[in-house]
Amino acid sequence: MVSLPFWNPIICIIALVILIAVTCLFRSRGQKKYKEGTAQTQIFLSGEEPPAVEQIHIKSHNIYWGFFQILKRYYDPSVRAHTGIINDYIIWFIALVALTTVILFIASLT
Amino acid sequence: MIITSGAALGAVIGTIGLAAFGIFCGLLYKGFDRKIAAHMQSRTGPPVIQPFLDVSKFMIKDTVQPERALAWLYNAAPIISLASVITVLLYLPFGGLTFTPVLSGYGDLILVVYLLILPALAMVAGGFASSSPFATVGAQRRMITMMSYEFPLAVVAIAIAWKLNQLYPGGSVFGLAFIYSHPLWGQIGPSGIIGMLLLLFAIVVVTPGQLATVPFDICEASPEIAEGLTAEYSGRNFALFYLADAAKMVAIGTLTIALFFPYDISPLIGIGGIPGSFIDFLFFLVKLFLVVTLMVTLPRVAMARLKVSQVPSIYWSATTAIAIVGLILLMIPN
Repeated sequence: MVSLPFWNPIICIIALVILIAVTCLFRSRGQKKYKEGTAQTQIFLSGEEPPAVEQIHIKSHNIYWGFFQILKRYYDPSVRAHTGIINDYIIWFIALVALTTVILFIASLT
Repeated sequence: MIITSGAALGAVIGTIGLAAFGIFCGLLYKGFDRKIAAHMQSRTGPPVIQPFLDVSKFMIKDTVQPERALAWLYNAAPIISLASVITVLLYLPFGGLTFTPVLSGYGDLILVVYLLILPALAMVAGGFASSSPFATVGAQRRMITMMSYEFPLAVVAIAIAWKLNQLYPGGSVFGLAFIYSHPLWGQIGPSGIIGMLLLLFAIVVVTPGQLATVPFDICEASPEIAEGLTAEYSGRNFALFYLADAAKMVAIGTLTIALFFPYDISPLIGIGGIPGSFIDFLFFLVKLFLVVTLMVTLPRVAMARLKVSQVPSIYWSATTAIAIVGLILLMIPN
């Protein structure tokens, strides 16, 4: 007999809500003030001028940079295969249908 | 399911008590960690109570909110981070076998593995919300680390639950209290022991990634990205992240003890009752100290920071392979 994992989401959420309330209570004991509109609220960029908001773009390629780096041998041929030309995709489709047909045919014989 | 008002009140008191004690232990072990690391490097180091002093100082410093930050998310991230770490503690057998987890029966090992993602996700969200380029880079790196170590950690969890299911069919093998009360080491053959050692090694490698400590601290990397995720955090918000980090160290240490060292000392010395429970609790704290020293302090002192591209490579290839070999060896019948 296989034992299955278990959890109670309601209890988990109640516990989380209680702890969020306690954390907020603790946080409220801390210093609330700061000097708004001064250099204090500028982001730190090693003394450089921060770029304008519209110039800050985060692409998914940046987020997964580490993965792209280690899986280069997989991604490079995959990217090359995605040419954007519809004829190429149809060739891939026909080739896969043919391969699937062959596999199903062989499977039906056994 | 019927929950009486007495049980509910007990759970609330237990929750708050465990939260306070978990944080206390986390700060204390952070102090030990810094002291031991300093002595290993021939320095005197700060006093053991330094983390407590740090938190009290953070609480009185200005809580600056960057102009361009997404305010609600920026402020909510540290709160969710700390609350979710303490939620994990509620499911863990903190203190030994006699101390039943507060939420025992309401969640299991798989839930704990996934709940451990929440604090890191909150940090990532806070990093993105702070609008700092350093924090954005740190958040990206943290996500890569998270996605990398989850697989070997899942293999470790599944391997132990699978073996328990083989030995105790029908038992609640995913329950942390069950795992703690059924140590595996004495019930597996030589191949199983080698398998368990490999799984232990895998979790030792995963832990610095979970805690973002050296050699897997690429998301902070002070000399490169100025603390990364927390570059723009200060005051009480930073204090909450600091406390979450301390509590997470305790949670991961407790999880490791439950999986690999679930032994109490009172049966060995023949002391029962309340004194026995007290001795077991002290023994648990000693085990936690040793586990934290082995998994956090030693790698931090002995190793250098890895490169971003090396982290997924180490977790996905070497660590996962070691964990899978451990799983296979554990599957071999005695």
